Amino acid sequence: MSEYLDPTAPVAQPRKTARRPSSLDGKVVTLLDISKAKGDHLLDRIEELLRERAKPKAIVRKKKPTFARPAPDTLRQEIVGGTDVLIEALAD
Amino acid sequence: MSLADPELDADLIEELYARGVTDGLPVVVPTRARVDRAVAASGRGHDELVALVPPNWGRATVEKVAVNAVMAGCRPEYLPVVLAAVEAVCDEVFDLHGVSATTNAPAPLVIVNGPLRATLDVNCGAGVFGSGWRANATIGRALRLVCVNVGGARPGEVSMSTLAHPGRYTYCIGEREEASPWESLAVEHGFAPGDSTVAVLAADAPLGVYDARSRTPEDLLATLAASLAVVSHHKMTHWGDTLLVLSPEHVTILGDAGWSKADVRRWLWGRLQRPVRELLPGRDGGEGLPEHVLRKFADPAHDSTPIPKFRSPDNIKIVVAGGTAGRFSAIVPGWTFSKGSALVFRPIRTPQSGGSA
Repeated sequence: MSEYLDPTAPVAQPRKTARRPSSLDGKVVTLLDISKAKGDHLLDRIEELLRERAKPKAIVRKKKPTFARPAPDTLRQEIVGGTDVLIEALAD
Repeated sequence: MSLADPELDADLIEELYARGVTDGLPVVVPTRARVDRAVAASGRGHDELVALVPPNWGRATVEKVAVNAVMAGCRPEYLPVVLAAVEAVCDEVFDLHGVSATTNAPAPLVIVNGPLRATLDVNCGAGVFGSGWRANATIGRALRLVCVNVGGARPGEVSMSTLAHPGRYTYCIGEREEASPWESLAVEHGFAPGDSTVAVLAADAPLGVYDARSRTPEDLLATLAASLAVVSHHKMTHWGDTLLVLSPEHVTILGDAGWSKADVRRWLWGRLQRPVRELLPGRDGGEGLPEHVLRKFADPAHDSTPIPKFRSPDNIKIVVAGGTAGRFSAIVPGWTFSKGSALVFRPIRTPQSGGSA
């Protein structure tokens, strides 16, 4: 028996990193603005570069209502159901 | 383990630190016997789920909270307060996910109201934010340990605060209800005077405000308003819950003049308005009204529309606390921008108040 009790809790949902695609060609790419100031500037530039350097099937722009909270379930479902690749941008 | 075995105790203190489950200070080793005593004092079951703690959604059972409370140095009878505080910070309104992960500095401030303050000797008086009282020192510390060990808010890994503040060791005060001319914070929010409650505010460090010479409400409130104006940033607007901690000498000026809490809030809210033209980014600092707000005004540089510092007078929360000597008050800025965190209350359930129900 251990001499003390464990103060930690196993997390409810162990996280795994999603598999990375080898190419963005033909993929639907979602650019998620988390609502930090100037996040749109960064994503605008990323969108420009993606259109120059890859051939995505589509680039979709989404926005969280606030950076301070997790994305609402409805937004997550929209992203999960409609995209191959997600790029989330922090700025300031 | 025997209490007569200080060497083993010391080794376990080192081991717990090395595991990254402390706040850096030595902890009390959470033996089965110590944890059982705390759980028994709560009148609740070991496996009862208190909350899922963001951001990792760890399961905070009564026993798991008790383990952390023992480590923090809590006496067994403090556990109901810690359990109520854990429930409160896990309310979605509090946004513990953001509070724990942000690069900003907030820590949950626990404010205790009601008769349990006296039973547990929660400091409400001299040095209320300072050291020397076991209840204040360990209840706030226990909440921090739960956020880290159950919620996953490890500093520098998940908790990415740039600076944080010392309230992340402990941050717990009682309201000095007996020195207030008004109803307490809890009663004002719908609880009965006989209820014991916690309120939690995602909060920055307290900002002391010194005013020894004001003798009228208007003079004193003008002083306090000037310090409230710089909460977050002097051009930040539409801010949410922020705590004004009035010392007994200061609140006497307001109470003796017949002012109610609502009068004070309305006066401060009205005073804390600035015209659009003074809130432009790049004028007195790069921050200012965001672009989507500025677009609503045809000529912002000359617009005199008043913009409030706080969204509503009710966002200015007021408690009385501190020693009877000294004309000092404090502002505890909330981390409470629009769609962010807000003050959350929970009743404290003890076996005497029906905690085992």
